[in-house]
Amino acid sequence: MKLADDPEVEAFRAEFAAFLDAHLPDEAGARERAGSSAHVPRWARRWQRTLFDAGWLLPGQPPEYGGRDATLPQQLAHLEELARRRVYHSFNPQGLGIIAASLLTFGTEEQKRRWAVPILRAEITAALGMSEPEAGSDLASLRTRAVPDRDGFVVNGQKVWTSGAHDADVLLAFVRTDPDAPKHQGISALLVPTGAEGVVRRPFGSIAAEDDLDFNEVFLTDVRVPRENLLGPLNEGWRVANGSLGHERTLLWLSYAERLEDLLRDAADAGAGQEWYATLRMDLTALRLLGHRQLGQDRDPAEISVLKLLGSEAVQSASLYALEAHGVEGLEHPARTGPYHHMHHEHFISSWFERYARSFAGTIAGGTSEIQRNIIAERILGLPR
Amino acid sequence: MEFELDEEQRLLRRTVRETVAKMRGRPEDQQWDTYLRLGWLEAPPLELALILEELGYAADPTPFLATATWFAPLTGRLPEGSGTAVFDGAGRYVLDADRADEVALLTGRGVIVVPGAELAAPRVPVLDPHLHAAHVDADGLVAAVPEPALLGLAATCVGACRRVLDLVLDHVRQRAQFGRPLGSFQAVKHKAADMHVAIERARALTHFGALTLAENDPRRTDAAHMAKAAAGECQRLVFRHGLQLFGAMGFTWENELQYHLKRAQACDLLLGVASVHRKALLA
Repeated sequence: MKLADDPEVEAFRAEFAAFLDAHLPDEAGARERAGSSAHVPRWARRWQRTLFDAGWLLPGQPPEYGGRDATLPQQLAHLEELARRRVYHSFNPQGLGIIAASLLTFGTEEQKRRWAVPILRAEITAALGMSEPEAGSDLASLRTRAVPDRDGFVVNGQKVWTSGAHDADVLLAFVRTDPDAPKHQGISALLVPTGAEGVVRRPFGSIAAEDDLDFNEVFLTDVRVPRENLLGPLNEGWRVANGSLGHERTLLWLSYAERLEDLLRDAADAGAGQEWYATLRMDLTALRLLGHRQLGQDRDPAEISVLKLLGSEAVQSASLYALEAHGVEGLEHPARTGPYHHMHHEHFISSWFERYARSFAGTIAGGTSEIQRNIIAERILGLPR
Repeated sequence: MEFELDEEQRLLRRTVRETVAKMRGRPEDQQWDTYLRLGWLEAPPLELALILEELGYAADPTPFLATATWFAPLTGRLPEGSGTAVFDGAGRYVLDADRADEVALLTGRGVIVVPGAELAAPRVPVLDPHLHAAHVDADGLVAAVPEPALLGLAATCVGACRRVLDLVLDHVRQRAQFGRPLGSFQAVKHKAADMHVAIERARALTHFGALTLAENDPRRTDAAHMAKAAAGECQRLVFRHGLQLFGAMGFTWENELQYHLKRAQACDLLLGVASVHRKALLA
């Protein structure tokens, strides 16, 4: 255990920092706002492409896929440098971090060329079709069916909470291909082009605004999907889902840490002299320490639930405290709001009320806090199921 | 930074845990002699935090904590026998002052070491039956932020909290109600999970504090306040959930749960409760 930074990681960080200083898009270009988590504005497409070509998009990947075989601590330094400048490498984080990453792990050469590289180069965007009306936290209950046909599958069912689906070109949908198999088996991962006949998308607003469109219902009626769109082996979609989420989750805590950092900075005027400000600093420090520990060898993956629970709930409490500290001013809802303040934050700053409301995304999405507590109790503390 | 214990630190933790378990129930001076012989008093900050966590886990009755983290850092040496120190300016509730061989007094003119026998320091009755606390009657005392002492209390508190959680987990795994083990109920699981997260948070901040102390990092005062505050918050949650989940059994003297609850609460109360240290962190 030591405070000092690893010189190899710091050299990597310095190299990336120099790249960012030289290549960050200018402010004018950044004013165009993204429409959803799958909609990549023009300037951001160019930016993502720049990162891809230089090997700075997903540094953990090999060079041919926009990376440089970076270690986990190096990948952390990469994300920290982006966060420090409040820059996102993509507005389609699920497309990049989950769908392209899954394609690179489980896909055929043809699938990598056809889907993964265009997603990485921001030529197309992708959305993740996991949740269904009756399969949220209990994902294994999903019922959307894909029935094998002569040269592919016929898909019927419904997805919901599909972030950015209305702006996405392709959906990575988890579907049931063997209805008789036990719940976790019999699921497959299918790439469904959103333009295919029988795909209907209905975006709906979030708590932040009626026109804050990111959530979608996706209805799939007799959608024909060719065989070559099957990702990974038939009926092994559960393994694909876990594999794709695994790496992404390792560094998930960082996004909470960055949000806490933002809150700490933005709330400083209201926070000075208030005790919650100290709690926020403690939560942030503890989260960073535990996150660094998670980078160590052989850590139990279940410990990521500790990070998610601690991080998302700390963001939520801190947002609420900041809102209360601002008092009635918190009612105000500036016209230019939105979650996409990563680039040039001052143009897209949200109100405190909105930030508190949005903090529930962290305690609900990706497994609710209640599910995280169950995981901690059962897998770490060994309590009976 | 690297936030994993290295191989030697893990080995130390294991050795301490086994030694302390073996010494359990032995006479107090035998335990004390063993800790001295193993050189634990001379351990550097992070290693000391690991030792104290294990001693906290065992509700250690010896004057180890005060000697290692109160007396030694203030005087820069180990005492002949056991030692303690006064930090609060008033000499109230000084850990082990009634039985220490040497007492360090922080005064306006610097640190003065007095033989324990020469001080008037009557033991004060406290709820934790194995804890010694005494009021020290002396003039010219000043208050200070003693980082090692705060971290020592935090580490001890984390150990005590972990013991409470372990006892609770054993209990809810074994005790059945309504035909199911208590631990299978979600209300119980969620309390246990929250206790675990609070312990991990406090332990991380304690280890961080010890690291800053070891490396004389400028963040060390802040880090010590954070560790002490987090440990206090942790014990508050662990005390409530721990006693609640044990039900009536946890409310008896016979159940060892009480020792660990009281040790954790004492560590919060000594040298300022959590809110005092949160206030110290304000920008």
